[in-house]
Amino acid sequence: MAKIIGIDLGTTNSAVAVMEAGAPRVLENAEGNRTTPSIVATSKAGERLAGLLAKRQSITNPHNTIFSVKRLIGRKFTDPEVQADKQWLPYEIKAASTGGIEVRIGETWHTPEEISAMILSKLKADAEAKLGEPVTEAVITVPAYFDDSQRQATKNAGEIAGLKVMRIINEPTAAALAYGMNKKKNEKIVVYDLGGGTFDVSVLEVGDDTVEVKATGGDTHLGGDDFDKRIIEHLVLEYKKTDGIDISKDALALQRLKEAAERAKHELSTSTETEINLPYITSDASGPRHFVLKFSRAKLESLVGDFVTKSVELTLKTVKDAGFAVGDINEIVMVGGQTRMPAVVEAVKKAFGKDPHQGINPDEVVAIGAAVQAGILQGDVKDILLLDVTPLSLGLETLGGVSTRIIEKNTTVPTAKTQVFSTAADNQTSVEIHILQGEREMAADNKTLGRFTLDGIPNAPRGTPQVEVTFDIDANGIVSVSAKDKQSGKSQSVKIEASTNLSKEEIERLKADAVAHAEEDKKKKEFVDVKNQAEHAVYSAEKALKEHGDKVPAEVKTTITEKIESLKTAQNGTDAAAMKAALDALSSEIQKIGQQYGQGTTPPPAGETPPAEEPKPNEPETPAQ
Amino acid sequence: MEEEIIDDATEKSRPSELETLKAQCEEYLNGWKRAKADLANSKAEEGRRLTEFAKFVGEAVMKDLTAVLDSFALASAAIPETNEAKKGLLIIQAQLEEALKKHGLEKITANVGDDFDPSKHEAMALVDGEGKPPETIAQEIEKGYSLNGKVLKPARVIVTK
Repeated sequence: MAKIIGIDLGTTNSAVAVMEAGAPRVLENAEGNRTTPSIVATSKAGERLAGLLAKRQSITNPHNTIFSVKRLIGRKFTDPEVQADKQWLPYEIKAASTGGIEVRIGETWHTPEEISAMILSKLKADAEAKLGEPVTEAVITVPAYFDDSQRQATKNAGEIAGLKVMRIINEPTAAALAYGMNKKKNEKIVVYDLGGGTFDVSVLEVGDDTVEVKATGGDTHLGGDDFDKRIIEHLVLEYKKTDGIDISKDALALQRLKEAAERAKHELSTSTETEINLPYITSDASGPRHFVLKFSRAKLESLVGDFVTKSVELTLKTVKDAGFAVGDINEIVMVGGQTRMPAVVEAVKKAFGKDPHQGINPDEVVAIGAAVQAGILQGDVKDILLLDVTPLSLGLETLGGVSTRIIEKNTTVPTAKTQVFSTAADNQTSVEIHILQGEREMAADNKTLGRFTLDGIPNAPRGTPQVEVTFDIDANGIVSVSAKDKQSGKSQSVKIEASTNLSKEEIERLKADAVAHAEEDKKKKEFVDVKNQAEHAVYSAEKALKEHGDKVPAEVKTTITEKIESLKTAQNGTDAAAMKAALDALSSEIQKIGQQYGQGTTPPPAGETPPAEEPKPNEPETPAQ
Repeated sequence: MEEEIIDDATEKSRPSELETLKAQCEEYLNGWKRAKADLANSKAEEGRRLTEFAKFVGEAVMKDLTAVLDSFALASAAIPETNEAKKGLLIIQAQLEEALKKHGLEKITANVGDDFDPSKHEAMALVDGEGKPPETIAQEIEKGYSLNGKVLKPARVIVTK
């Protein structure tokens, strides 16, 4: 089944996304970017260009490079907005015989629909290249304030581009969809969309099966570009003050400054100060001059503070227009690149008294929402088997009361995992499998799901038997755990049905618990690890002395025995550092004999690690008893 | 009598348990096939994405470093040949360029007289060609760079009218 793509057809930039295996994915264009400039042009050679390439040649061809056509689509030539935009648009427009608008490219006149179709064709072609299959259907977004004529024109543009427009949806609705808010009944949502050139506010109300636009507002000429302009003006002025040079007349210097200003703006979203370095920005009688200036977030905020204030005022006004009080608003969604600025988020948060949603890339959230809508239309939701994940990790208790995780949390089920364990004592004939659920490091802090014992393990030194433990969770969340002794073939298993009977709150609490205790748990686990190592070392050393003691000089034997004793004492204490010191002392002593034997061609006695542990050196053994 | 007829009709319009199960079976099988296919596809796609990722992993760093290369170019153009330090500077510049080249960074050619090509050039200004053909490069102001074939930054040029 061919995929339906979701398209955010923007004033400045456009983006395309698609649902894949139940999750939205933004598609990169032919140039490898996730957004495409909404610009088309015909070069002097008559070649049609769209996107980034059209943008790059715009200066050579300003009259035949068409941008911001979204401001014209579906409008009448006589509309006041069109008359105002006509003043600054560098390309030629005229009234069409139908009362609409025509745009001139070269010698021919095109409707705005046709121009938009050229952008859509480019988006379609790039999406097809990325997906490797033809694309014929799309969901396209439009601003909430678009009237019927503008919506119809956008739909026509899609058809001209060879796309069956399955639905036209509102941009704020798409943003809310991207955050899954269509499922929240009776919620009131504010969508704050501060893009490059426009600012849109929408107030939505989610009904039973609908998302209704209650009010729209904003400013069609306020956006990130205005922020950039302010920054550049400031930098030019500042440079004039410090270096006495006016670079506003130097086109290339200004271009470099513009880019640096944009970079600085982005940087100040994450850091509080940045330095703008532009060596050799210009030159005068005294030689080359450089541009070096520190720029702080505080300064940036003071430069554009009035824009932010204005946007918040417009937002509150729109809420009022919708007939709501500020307190009625349940959610706020941030859209548009400029909403990355911390001051913008802060101002919105202050106005509403709650955190706005901003987890999804604000440049892509509308396209993602369009893809979600496309997925709903396509029936992806039904087609795709909804797979669950295990909310908490599952594991078992190992030596020293440690919880060893077998299946990590957030693993998609059904799934199965197997791990090999061994015994902790010589001639241990049974192991107890204590099944645990939770994120804590120690078994006692996690929830017990069940226990069983596997016996009949043949006598063998510790660490030799191989017990294979398998955890299996089926699609219904039923956990089966089995243990099998590889040598005897004996096995034992248990089925736990209630593993997912935890409420959402309980799961969250358990996860939070794990985070809260992370530090303390880590210490406890480290302590147990050292203790286990110590026990192991004592065992190996005693074994080595017993087997090879007669070959070792008496004084070495005494030293080792002493070290063993002191480690044993430390082992019963609670001081991990003392235990570690005693352990190291014993290890180095043992190593000395090892070296002696190494020189004398006889094989060294059992060192720190008995061979049985080698296959899985990091696996702690199951506890004795 | 009447009641029976109605009952009969409902009986017929209601799909039998077997049919429901068959339909369900079909739906589940399709879902399973789809899931398997999705996994296979996403594995293949993941592989491709990883290759891409590996190729462009340094893209952001490279992009930032091209600004340094630009500054070097400006510096070596500004320092007179007579300056003793210039030679050293040029060597450092070459060293940096060489190091970046090893990681796939290449200069984009933009010679005077070449046709202006927006796929690798960005027009910054227009000048009178003074007899030269239109839409050709009159001057290169800033070098362009590509990383493993992808244009990182187009060459900034002045174009003839």
